[in-house]
Amino acid sequence: MSDDRHEPESNDLERRLRAALKPVNPGEGFTAGVMARVAAEPRPARRPRSPAVVSWLAFGLAASVVLAVLLAHEWQVRRIEQGREARRQLIEALRVTDEKLNLAYRVVNSRQDAAPAQHSGA
Amino acid sequence: MSGDGECTGGDLLRRALAGERAAFGALVGTHQRMVFSLALRMLRDRHAAEDLAQEVFLQLYRSLSAVSSEAHLAFWLRKVTVHRAIDRLRREPRLEMAPLEEAQVPAGEAHSRDPILERRLRSLVAQLPPAARAVVLLRYQEDLDPADIARTLRMPVNTVKSHLKRSLAELRERMTSSGALT
Repeated sequence: MSDDRHEPESNDLERRLRAALKPVNPGEGFTAGVMARVAAEPRPARRPRSPAVVSWLAFGLAASVVLAVLLAHEWQVRRIEQGREARRQLIEALRVTDEKLNLAYRVVNSRQDAAPAQHSGA
Repeated sequence: MSGDGECTGGDLLRRALAGERAAFGALVGTHQRMVFSLALRMLRDRHAAEDLAQEVFLQLYRSLSAVSSEAHLAFWLRKVTVHRAIDRLRREPRLEMAPLEEAQVPAGEAHSRDPILERRLRSLVAQLPPAARAVVLLRYQEDLDPADIARTLRMPVNTVKSHLKRSLAELRERMTSSGALT
C-alpha cells in the first residue's frame, strides 16, 4: 500500500491501524431493538424459485398450451367430419325418398292410363 | 447465541430464509459488531450509528431472499452500511463536524498496548473524507483487499489504491507531526 521509502513506517502504521480499528459492540439491547422493529414487519417474501424450477414450470406451461391447441384442433376436425357424414346421410335419404316418390308416381299414372282402356273395351 | 452455538452461519441463514425469526436474531448477533463499528466510524455519533445499523438489519430482513450465502451476507451488510452512511453524511453534514464518539470496548477485550495512540488514530481516520474513510475502514477494520473494497464501494480498484496511499500518507504525516509516530 506504500512506496519502498516508507515501507517499514507504513507497516507499523498499518499494524497500529488494524489494532485501533478493531470492531466494537453496539449498546446492550441492540439486537432486541432490531428484533422489535422486525416484529412490526410482515414476514418477508420467500426465496424466489430457482431458475431451473422456473424453466421447468415454463416448459410445462408451454407443453400444456400446445396439447390444448392440438386437442381443440382434433375436436374441430371431428365435428367437421360428423357434419359431412350427417349431410351425406341426409342427401342419401332424400335421394331414396325421391326414388320412392317417383316409383309411386309412375304406379299411380300407369293405373290411371289402364282404367279408361278397360272402360272402352267393355 | 445460546442454543445456536453449534449452528454455522449457513444454517442460520437457511433457517432465517425459512422465516425463523430466532435465526434472524442470531444472524444480527453475529454481524452487529461489524455493522455497528462501520456505522460508528463513518458517522462518528453513537446514536446515529445504532439507528443506521438497525435500519441496515431491517433492510436485510426485508430483502433476505436476495442473499444467497454467508459470504454474500457479509458483503451485502458492508456494502449497504457504508452506502447508507455516506448518504446520511450527505443529508446531515452536522455529523461531519462532531468529534468521534468512542464506543465502549468490552472489558475482556481492553488489551490495547497504546490506547491513547489508538484513540488518536481513530480520530484521524474519522477526519478523512467519507469515501477515503470508507476505504480505510474496509481495509483495516474488515481486512478486505483492494479488489473486494472496489466491489463493495463500486469504484475502480485504482481509485481504491490511490485512496489508501493518500490516506496512509496523510495519517503518517499527522501522527509524525504530533509526535505519536516516530
